[in-house]
Amino acid sequence: MNSRYLFGEAWAIAKSGPRHTAIAVVLIALAFYVPGLFALLSRNLGRLAGSAREPAAAILTLDASADARGVAARVTEDPRVAKVTIVGSAAALERFRRAYPDLGGAIADLGEAPFPPAIEVSLKPSAPPRAAREIAVAARSWPGVDAAESEEEFAAKFRDGVRLLRGAGLFLGGLLTVAAILSVASAVRLALDLHRDEIGIMRRMGATETAIRAPFWLHAFFEGLAGGALALALLYATYRGAAYFLSREPHPVLALFWVGFLDLPTALALPAVGGAAGFLGSLLSLSKSPKS
Amino acid sequence: MTPEERTAGGAPMIQLFRVCKDFGPFRHALSEVSFTVERGEFVFLTGPSGAGKSTLLKLLFREELPTSGQIVVNGRNIGVLPDGQVPYFRRTLGVVFQDFKLIGRKTVYGNLAFVQSVLGLSRGEQKRRAYQALKRVGLHHRMNSLPSELSGGEQQRTAIALAIVNEPVLLLADEPTGNLDPVLSEEIMKLFSEINIRGTTVFVATHDVDLIRRMGHRVLTLEKGKLRERDMAREALAREAPFLPG
Repeated sequence: MNSRYLFGEAWAIAKSGPRHTAIAVVLIALAFYVPGLFALLSRNLGRLAGSAREPAAAILTLDASADARGVAARVTEDPRVAKVTIVGSAAALERFRRAYPDLGGAIADLGEAPFPPAIEVSLKPSAPPRAAREIAVAARSWPGVDAAESEEEFAAKFRDGVRLLRGAGLFLGGLLTVAAILSVASAVRLALDLHRDEIGIMRRMGATETAIRAPFWLHAFFEGLAGGALALALLYATYRGAAYFLSREPHPVLALFWVGFLDLPTALALPAVGGAAGFLGSLLSLSKSPKS
Repeated sequence: MTPEERTAGGAPMIQLFRVCKDFGPFRHALSEVSFTVERGEFVFLTGPSGAGKSTLLKLLFREELPTSGQIVVNGRNIGVLPDGQVPYFRRTLGVVFQDFKLIGRKTVYGNLAFVQSVLGLSRGEQKRRAYQALKRVGLHHRMNSLPSELSGGEQQRTAIALAIVNEPVLLLADEPTGNLDPVLSEEIMKLFSEINIRGTTVFVATHDVDLIRRMGHRVLTLEKGKLRERDMAREALAREAPFLPG
């Protein structure tokens, strides 16, 4: 068996059923696009979580008209508090610009401050673990305080959110990957039918089963690889499209986390896993192929 | 490698020892069939439709396994041949069918080159062998034609070229003239004779009695899965079956 035969026949198989090849590639692309999108969202959310400058035990979000100094003074009356930091709208914006320089353009044109003023509360090392939660609960009823959450609560909710997103992505990804494998298996099965006579001739002439099946394996691998690559291209187009949209129509929440594309290993994993799924689909299909 | 070089010593080319083939409990395709074909022989297998000719060829080609008995081809007991060895065994044979069985999307040369590329031969070797085989069947001038552009006789000659391109020691043919007129049938048989003269054992299954008579070679007749008695009497090796490894 030589490479000319192997690649030539794999190409001939693809050409013999162009519609089915195209459908299989698109199905694989869709199967990997959806989990890819989840990976993109969770990566950006993860980046947001990791971008906090310094850990605060509780964050009090204030109304725009609130007396920030008054609220801060009231917080410091609690003996468990070590330090309070008033973060004004402008300071929050500046922090954001430093954390996400690539989004600078998106918010530069904003007429008003997108971030409300807030007070970050740090506790003494001797403070018990429940202190942050107690301070946040108490502060919610104070005038001028729009919302108050302990870091523990916020982090837990955030972690849960990201975990849920990743779980949903993995579940959907797994489900769609199985669908992709089955669609490749069915496309290979069809190709086998179309090439039944050739396979008969090959067997008669003394071709080994490996030589007969290898072009089908290669064809399915490339089908998966192309599907994965297409999914990657679609994801990049989605990312660029959304970034372009956000630069024209800045959104205070979306703009926060839509800042980076998939990292290189994850991006390369899409076509690689696609290729593996294609190969697996062909194995599944060819394992049922009758021998003469 | 010439056919002579690929043979296993001086043993007969085909030996069948009390071979039976059943398809289910009630369909006995072959019963107690025993015969020998020597190296370099040209033998016809004849009999009415349903007599078991095609089944016998499938057994010789190891497409089917016998229910009982032993089949030795080119010194190999093919009943006990491991599955992995079957392709290598088949490379020493050539097979021709009634319905030509060519790859429609490839040219005459492409058909011949394709099967050789599957076997891993170099392009130079593929060209040399394909040209030689096509020259032997008189089709070297049509090597760039598609099978659909050929006449029935030319298609069958291409199928024969495909069967001999690997220089087999044994050529099996199942009703090779079934789709051809008498003139073309005679032409194909002459071609088989030429191949036989060059040292290849030829075993042809056909029900064309006139053709067999004109060719004048040895004939084995199957009737309802059994070798006709007068043929059996000639087969001295019907007595004991020596076991040979695959």
